[in-house]
Amino acid sequence: MLEAIAEIGSEWRRQKLPLYLFLGLCFNLILAPAVFAATSGDLSRTQAYWLGALVILTVALAIYLFFVMFVPERF
Amino acid sequence: MTSMNDSPKPFRVPSGTRDSRRHTPKVEMKGLYQRAVKESFVKLDPRIQVRNPVMFVVWVGTLVTLLLTFDPNLFGTLQADVNQQRLLNGLITFILLFTIVFANFAESVAEGRGKAQADALRATRSDTIAKKILPTGSVQEISSTELRRGDLVKVVAGDMIPADGEIIAGIGSVDESAITGESAPVLKQPGTDIMSSVTGGTRLLSDELTVRITADPGQGFIDRMIALVEGAERTKTPNEIALTVLLAVLTLVFLIVVANIPPITGYVASFLSTATSEQAAADLRNGASVAIMISLLVALIPTTIGGLLSAIGIAGMDRVAQFNVIATSGRAVEACGDINTLVLDKTGTITLGNRLAAEFIPVNGHGMEDVAQVALDASVFDETPEGRSIVALAERSGAKVSFDPKLAEGVEFSARTRMSGTDLDSKEIRKGAVDAIRGFVRSRGGHVPPTLDEAYERVSKLGGTPLAVCQNNEIYGVIYLKDIVKPGLKERFDQLRRMGVRTIMLTGDNRITASVIAQEAGVDDFIAEATPEDKIEVIRSEQAQGKLVAMTGDGTNDAPALAQANVGLAMNSGTQAAKEAANMVDLDSDPTKLIDLVTIGKQLLITRGALTTFSVANDIAKYFAIIPTIFAAAGIGALNVMGLKSANSAIISALIYNALIILVLIPLALKGVQFRPLTADQLLRRNILIYGVGGVIAPFIAIKLIDVILPFS
Repeated sequence: MLEAIAEIGSEWRRQKLPLYLFLGLCFNLILAPAVFAATSGDLSRTQAYWLGALVILTVALAIYLFFVMFVPERF
Repeated sequence: MTSMNDSPKPFRVPSGTRDSRRHTPKVEMKGLYQRAVKESFVKLDPRIQVRNPVMFVVWVGTLVTLLLTFDPNLFGTLQADVNQQRLLNGLITFILLFTIVFANFAESVAEGRGKAQADALRATRSDTIAKKILPTGSVQEISSTELRRGDLVKVVAGDMIPADGEIIAGIGSVDESAITGESAPVLKQPGTDIMSSVTGGTRLLSDELTVRITADPGQGFIDRMIALVEGAERTKTPNEIALTVLLAVLTLVFLIVVANIPPITGYVASFLSTATSEQAAADLRNGASVAIMISLLVALIPTTIGGLLSAIGIAGMDRVAQFNVIATSGRAVEACGDINTLVLDKTGTITLGNRLAAEFIPVNGHGMEDVAQVALDASVFDETPEGRSIVALAERSGAKVSFDPKLAEGVEFSARTRMSGTDLDSKEIRKGAVDAIRGFVRSRGGHVPPTLDEAYERVSKLGGTPLAVCQNNEIYGVIYLKDIVKPGLKERFDQLRRMGVRTIMLTGDNRITASVIAQEAGVDDFIAEATPEDKIEVIRSEQAQGKLVAMTGDGTNDAPALAQANVGLAMNSGTQAAKEAANMVDLDSDPTKLIDLVTIGKQLLITRGALTTFSVANDIAKYFAIIPTIFAAAGIGALNVMGLKSANSAIISALIYNALIILVLIPLALKGVQFRPLTADQLLRRNILIYGVGGVIAPFIAIKLIDVILPFS
């Protein structure tokens, strides 16, 4: 079991994208209830979750574009 | 600096017009577009898309709109017909997908052309059997892939040269058509700065050579060329990096703007629902739906230049390769466009390499016949074009060889003695540089007549090269060797001047001759009696003034200057040291090509600038197409100057235009904007007028046309 966890851990260190996706989805668990509360019942819980994910995606794109601006030679 | 010597050069003059010269290996373009179409879809891989920030944003947008096609109410309930929304979102997804595919197609076509060229070259690089000379002197047959730098190989007539190397013994004709496209064989010989290097994959046609290998397997000239044209070693150039930053900034700005529209719209809609009507508020909210916001974002970010940027760069490299020039990087090609100063050798670059005898000028009381006779006797063993032209002129003047050539001995020209001639039992007949002949005559106890200087000055003032002729201790006269400025060069230099490029001519000739040639050719400056060291000094002094300098060279002593110059173009006929120091190698060994490279570099920069201007200018029309229609409920419907039918029609029309314009501009990106010799200011004005104003007007017309054609109500 521990070996399997260590294997997953080392794989995550190599493959960054799944880790970022996982962290983003986890963060959405905090963000989505806030979105749901802010819309005062206009949205369902599912819609609030997807909207939260869209907000995170937009922020991630903005961070990516900042990264391109500062390290353009890598793109 | 061999090209500055007065010595004849075994230059092969490439045949045909330059535009007509291409690599001999026939580039297989069949199936290029089919492969490019397939490759366009393969490139949808996010790991590839992430390298292009603009298209990656479109790619992410496509995924989101795809989700919205399945569930239009994914991010909130829209007060509209779900099926209609699904159709609209599906159409948006489809168009966005093809926007990316078209951009990928442009890149794939450019890459495909390079790969086709690489395949043709690869066909010439077959493994051959090399005759390796062992330390014991015996010969062992091994595969060419087993050869290492420093090995000695024997090549006999008919053999393929197994790897790049320098000739250390033997003279032979080599067929270099596999890499240069020239069918005429080239005479190769050791010990000279030029024509002593051979390239792997070429074929020895006559005699036998001993070659020292200068490149390990996979590091040879053709290997490097393959890697370059395939784009394997392609890195972003400074200009591309700057443009990538600009595109990322623009994309980020529009991303922030578009992301803020829905909250603001929500606020305005809540105000409208209380102040005016619920329907107006609902229309406004629908106008700011996620799918429409993504459409607006894609329409506003510079997708045209974002999609074509890499294709322009690859096509630039391809154009250079088509000119039979190997660039070590895209950076070198781009640097050509920024060049301020061209340092050019006179002989072979500005004037034709072969000077011809035009006149005999007698001195010291001798007659014309005497000079012609001595000049003929001195040139009997001279096989250079100059020597042959002296023989022809003397024979036309009635002279005949006065001795049996079997009983005479030829004296070869050398850079040290600067003269050549014939030795007979009792006679030493010489022709050469006036100073050298003067010294020769004095060493034999003769005297120098004052009329020699007059003849020397007369020839120099005509822009020719004077060669004195003497027999034993007596000077007979001067041969006027006429330097012929290459046709059309004056106009080329005029063009360069208009573009702000300064030309400097370097020559070993005296000041008077140099000034006449400089004036005739139309160069901006010249350095006479130049030594090899002068070349690097000129480059350093120009660079100290903040200028970018380009130069050509072929000799080992040119290597430091080639390395120092911002663009160093080495001749393929030159030494390995020169080729390694330069950042470009001309396979045709035509130094004039440096001027063409400046043109290609400028064309590359102009194309990139023009398409960037066009792409940004397009935004205005797309903005006027989308914003007034989607927010008509907010009272800005009057801004719908194109009179587009509906919001849906406006969005789809703008996106279709956005995708199609990439496809339409692919030929321009690959071929390059037509080059005109104008100053930077004139080019900027022209660019703004054609691609700026055109970029504003064209989409208005195109979007309106698409809107009329579309069946949306």
